[in-house]
Amino acid sequence: MRLLLVEDERDIQTFLRRSLEEAGYQVDVASDGKTAERLAHDATYDVLIVDLGLPDMDGISLILRLRRIGIDAPVLILSARRSVDDRVRGLEQGGDDYLTKPFALAELLARLRNLVKRNGPAGSEATKLRVLDLELDLLRREAIRSGELLQLTPQEFVLLEYLCRNAGRVVTRSMILDKVWGMRIQPDTNVVDVHIYRLRGKVDGKGQQPMIRTLRGVGYVLKDR
Amino acid sequence: MHSAAWRISVWGTLAYACGTMLVFLFLHQFVAADIQRRSDAWLSGEVEVLADVAERTPKNALYGRVVGEIAELASKEVPNKVRGESTASDDSVFVLQIGAPGALQLWVGAGNAEPYLRAIQKSSIVPERPTDLRVEGISIPFRVASVRIDDGSHIYLGLSERDEMRVLNNLQLRFILVWLLLVLLGFAIVFYTTRRMLRHVREISEAASRIGHSDLKARVPTSARNDEVGQLAGTLNTMLDRIESSMHQLHTITDSLAHDLRSPLTAIRGKLEMSLSAATHGEQAEPIVSAIEELDRLNEFLNVSLDVAEAKADALRLSRSSIDLDELLHVMIDLYEPSMSERGLTIRLHSAGALVIDADSALIHRMIANLFDNELKHLPSACTVTLHLQTQDDTALLSLEDDGPGFAPEVSAHVFERRVKGKESHGHGLGLAFVDAVVRAHGGVATASNGPNGGARITLSLPLATARVM
Repeated sequence: MRLLLVEDERDIQTFLRRSLEEAGYQVDVASDGKTAERLAHDATYDVLIVDLGLPDMDGISLILRLRRIGIDAPVLILSARRSVDDRVRGLEQGGDDYLTKPFALAELLARLRNLVKRNGPAGSEATKLRVLDLELDLLRREAIRSGELLQLTPQEFVLLEYLCRNAGRVVTRSMILDKVWGMRIQPDTNVVDVHIYRLRGKVDGKGQQPMIRTLRGVGYVLKDR
Repeated sequence: MHSAAWRISVWGTLAYACGTMLVFLFLHQFVAADIQRRSDAWLSGEVEVLADVAERTPKNALYGRVVGEIAELASKEVPNKVRGESTASDDSVFVLQIGAPGALQLWVGAGNAEPYLRAIQKSSIVPERPTDLRVEGISIPFRVASVRIDDGSHIYLGLSERDEMRVLNNLQLRFILVWLLLVLLGFAIVFYTTRRMLRHVREISEAASRIGHSDLKARVPTSARNDEVGQLAGTLNTMLDRIESSMHQLHTITDSLAHDLRSPLTAIRGKLEMSLSAATHGEQAEPIVSAIEELDRLNEFLNVSLDVAEAKADALRLSRSSIDLDELLHVMIDLYEPSMSERGLTIRLHSAGALVIDADSALIHRMIANLFDNELKHLPSACTVTLHLQTQDDTALLSLEDDGPGFAPEVSAHVFERRVKGKESHGHGLGLAFVDAVVRAHGGVATASNGPNGGARITLSLPLATARVM
């Protein structure tokens, strides 16, 4: 998976490159729009990360220029701005995504994965999800662990489904809020944690191996091994 | 109908009508006096002639006929006579001679002399000065001149004022018609011009209020003419230029502040996360975790501070979309309910159903989250939070009431101000300031007070989606 990172802040560049490489991406870095254009022209990338505040041009102008020369790889826009520009919304509707700084690495990686998946070949949608001995029937909205039906509310089912789809990967609180409740907010109370505790109480019964793990300061992960 | 154009036209026309009326009254007076003067001159002249003839003519049987002939002749030359009627009338002139003891000596005129005689005897007609005389049974007064002749008798010559009045009435009728026409025409012209002028003013004020609500890039319409209205538009536009530039300045400052703070925060957070993934022991991880949490809190504080600062300057940028408040509250309650019940709190929503507002969804989400966080942090357990959502006229009314201890008296008057928080509070004191800021930015009003049961009550009113279309 080849990725072009367009970011002028050296510190952010460094840690992003390292974590992206750890996540298995082959990363090229451009510090300004001109370089990015040249690199994108010479090589084929699966996905791009573009910061909006570049020294020589606006990030959106860069994306539009790349689109004009036929580069249609999905873009994850990084923004340190306060408001989300209408043009960013336009790009978002066109299949790209944006993330405001500062962000959690897990969220960046999750959004990248989604972008690549969205633009890849559409696989047939599974009707069942299976993680270890946990099985979700997406049509009947039922969850079964070790042959036992879990009594979940509809909301808890959606939450568990989201964790299962990202089994083995970290999901952050803001990702859960975004995907399960549809809002980008940052409550300064532990609302998401309480939902997870309740879900854990139902999924990880007595004597069973705990599946939902809390990674403090990062988020949660549903263990898949 | 009570527009300014209407009022100006009514008052203008009134003044104009009074003015023209005065001019007409003056003219009428002048014409009437002139007619009077002419008939008086005729009367005085004729009565002199009559007196002269009466003196010379011997008082025999022929006397009456001679004087009568003269009077007859004179009556043919009455001034102001309406043409074409000269043959019919001979009730317009009379001659009467009264002897010294008050006996009738001569009578030339239509009908009986008795009423005339009585009228003359009752009145006090001075010789040489024509006077008005009303005769019983005749509606129109006579103008009478008299002269005393040497034998002690008086000769009275009377001329009916009928023709004079007919001329004046004719004139009056025409005056009134012309006056009405002028007044109507004046009203129409004044109304039309003021309405045109004021329509321009209305366009300007409508455009200006639209600009206040939406974007500052638009300008009020200007006209080519450099009159007062054109200048008003120009002044408004200059003012808007200045406001836009200071808004822009503010946005630039907050944006660059946000950018300059967020970039290092991003780098720090990234590095912390990387060292967290490298840390194997719990005791190594603990400080990193708490640093990340602090950093997230700092970031949220930065966001809210800048939003509140912009909103206080009415410069918050909104990207509006339709939001169903009822649906949003249900989702929010679904999100917050477990945390609330964990703390022994109950939350209830009374809603009349779907209620759509046109608002910035990210801000509204954060605002409601703020309200709920606030309750979650400050309410003692076993309390109930009750939400009411309803429409009132053109606004959505959301009230949030709890049965907790309410706002402390020292803060209750300014809960929406920055940094105001109760003694027990651990927040940064921006929560409710942010709520107020968001509501104001959407053209609504937020109020906070203690309810009748002592609990806190916060009421938000936001314009409905339909109210904004206009």
